[in-house]
Amino acid sequence: MEQTAHFYLGLIPLMPLIGAVLIGLMHVTTCRGHRFPDKLYAVLACIGPVLACIMAFQVFTILKTLPVEHRILVHKVFTWFSVGELNISMGFMADPLSSLMILFVTFIGSLIHIYSIGYMADDKTYAKFFGYMNLFLGSMLILVLGDGPVVMFVGWEGVGLCSYLLISYYNEDSSNVLAGNKAFIVNRIGDLGFVLGMAFLFWAIGAQGFDYISLKANAHLLPQATAMLVCLLLFVGATGKSAQIPLYVWLPDAMAGPTPVSALIHAATMVTAGVYMVARFSFLYVTVPDAGEIVAWIGILTALVSAIYGMFQDDIKKVLAYSTVSQLGYMFAGVGVAAYSAGIFHVFTHAFFKALLFLGAGSVIYAMHHEQNIWKMGGLKKKLPVTYLTMLVGALALSGCPPFSGFFSKDEILFSAFASGHKAIWAIGVLVAGMTAYYTFRMIFVVFHGEPHSKSSYDHAHEPPPVMTVPLVLLAIGALLAGFFNLPELFGGHQMVSSWLEPSVLDHHAHAEASTEWMVMGSSVLAFVIGFSIAYVKFAKGAQLPVFTGFAKFAYNKFYIDELYDMLFVQPYKSIGAIIWKDFDPNVTDGPRKAISWLYGAIGDAFRLVQTGYVRVYAIYMVIGLSLISLLISQTLN
Amino acid sequence: MIINYLTLSIILFCLGILGVISRRNVFTVFMSIELMLNAANLAFITFARLHVSMDGHVLAMLVIAVAAAEAALALAVVILLHKHKGVLDTNIFSLLKG
Repeated sequence: MEQTAHFYLGLIPLMPLIGAVLIGLMHVTTCRGHRFPDKLYAVLACIGPVLACIMAFQVFTILKTLPVEHRILVHKVFTWFSVGELNISMGFMADPLSSLMILFVTFIGSLIHIYSIGYMADDKTYAKFFGYMNLFLGSMLILVLGDGPVVMFVGWEGVGLCSYLLISYYNEDSSNVLAGNKAFIVNRIGDLGFVLGMAFLFWAIGAQGFDYISLKANAHLLPQATAMLVCLLLFVGATGKSAQIPLYVWLPDAMAGPTPVSALIHAATMVTAGVYMVARFSFLYVTVPDAGEIVAWIGILTALVSAIYGMFQDDIKKVLAYSTVSQLGYMFAGVGVAAYSAGIFHVFTHAFFKALLFLGAGSVIYAMHHEQNIWKMGGLKKKLPVTYLTMLVGALALSGCPPFSGFFSKDEILFSAFASGHKAIWAIGVLVAGMTAYYTFRMIFVVFHGEPHSKSSYDHAHEPPPVMTVPLVLLAIGALLAGFFNLPELFGGHQMVSSWLEPSVLDHHAHAEASTEWMVMGSSVLAFVIGFSIAYVKFAKGAQLPVFTGFAKFAYNKFYIDELYDMLFVQPYKSIGAIIWKDFDPNVTDGPRKAISWLYGAIGDAFRLVQTGYVRVYAIYMVIGLSLISLLISQTLN
Repeated sequence: MIINYLTLSIILFCLGILGVISRRNVFTVFMSIELMLNAANLAFITFARLHVSMDGHVLAMLVIAVAAAEAALALAVVILLHKHKGVLDTNIFSLLKG
């Protein structure tokens, strides 16, 4: 049994990666001439993720048969490098945390791949798209399964690269390329934090082995100050990858990519990496509660700010993008207050409903011929019934309506915050829950209800093919039911996910009276009802394009944060670059090189005078030379 | 006795060098080179006499043979030069000027 699991562990990340290499090579060799049929690429692209998904289920079931304290499988494939004390092997580790992650990453990844077959049908570089998608999924699996920070970093960089490639996929438009650049550069800033954190960690306790198991065993040796530093630096990495304050700015721009890419980034891969990383290093974060405090506050503030932005967006994908940032904020609030399983559980449910919402938005965009402005849609309920119903499920889950999945996971986080004494975080969380319900249903009502705002595109709208709607239905079922996996005891559940994650994360269980639990839950539901009602009153009967003034205008322009960053960082950076390029480089760096070339020129000029070209002059040189040699010889002979 | 022959040889050689350096006509230069060759021949024979050996004579014969071959070649070059520019002034031919 365990042998099989080991075997699968190595194969799971390899499956999509082989697909990526194969598709990439086929595309490169045929892009100038006769192309392979698109169907072939579609099948090839889906084989890898689906096989990985099956193997992930196998690993999960095998892990389940083991006794609780032995639920950890490490498969070292080969020694990657070994320098002094640093021995890094390419190893993959399955424990409850990573096995849960790969389950939904591969499952949702597979569904998104299948959906893309329909969505990308008319694309000119179909193969390239699927090659990148497979690479993306493979990188994420390396990130999740890696048995130490270094292997995780490989995947970490891999998803960064793939997000860049896919965000700027429609590269005819330079603004898309700029969005890709922004995502990549902002992620690099976070990556610096991750690398520094990793370096400090190695410097402090890395000598006895630099994988999670050894690090966990040696975590108590870490001095408090170093632990704090490492935690904060790792969190800087997480803010980059998971789009938190202050590095969240790339995620809304990432909407420039094709919609399945957005779904993949937001649901299965990339943005959940930061939460996963904090949960993975929970053994460090529990030693420094202050670091957790900072994580929680950054998380909840991000949730608040992005919920405010989300209320005023008019691009269907931007609304969803800000909702992702907001939900990620919840997750960080969860892991920040040491409720790691609650945070991971929210990652799990969020993956279902956010993938569903994005793919649903993709269907709408597909039906409206790439129109993304919600004010140009309206009344699509009759034209896209399947999309409408599935998106409704997703919206209810996102806004935390019981008994949809989002309700349970969000409530778990808010309850943990409340019970562990973080009342302010809880209060903001409830407020954000209400705002979430408002902006989600604002989007649903404006897109699907009321009168069509654009008659011509309404008439041409039609339900997409089954290859796109079937994944939607599957995800809707997931979004509806995923919450029941972690049904709290209050409803007679057993918190299966939390107890499953028990061995991997050092959870801090906050206990409270049942009445407190009811109160917390009740306030979440109340927030949902209020948010939903406001949205219903304002938008259900059809709404016209709003004119933003005052604070709304300020929020519509995202508090001018992009402009502020541009002024504070981008422009000074550019002017420093210009100074280096125009002044420093030609005058300082190139100085020695220029001097040497001038010297050679001068020497050449001097020798030129000697070369007269008259044969008589050369004869004189010869005579002089021979005379000197003769003189020398006669001198030595004497 | 020997020293007189050697002195004559040196004088002839120096005259040859002087001719090569100072004269501009290709023919004169060529004749000066011949003069230097024969000065060398004279020195060879003198030393052969001094050492009572035939080696110097052999070398002198060799030099005469080489000089003959060289004369044939050089005259052909002179004709070509004349065809090319119409004059035989060495200052005209200064393609190697830097």
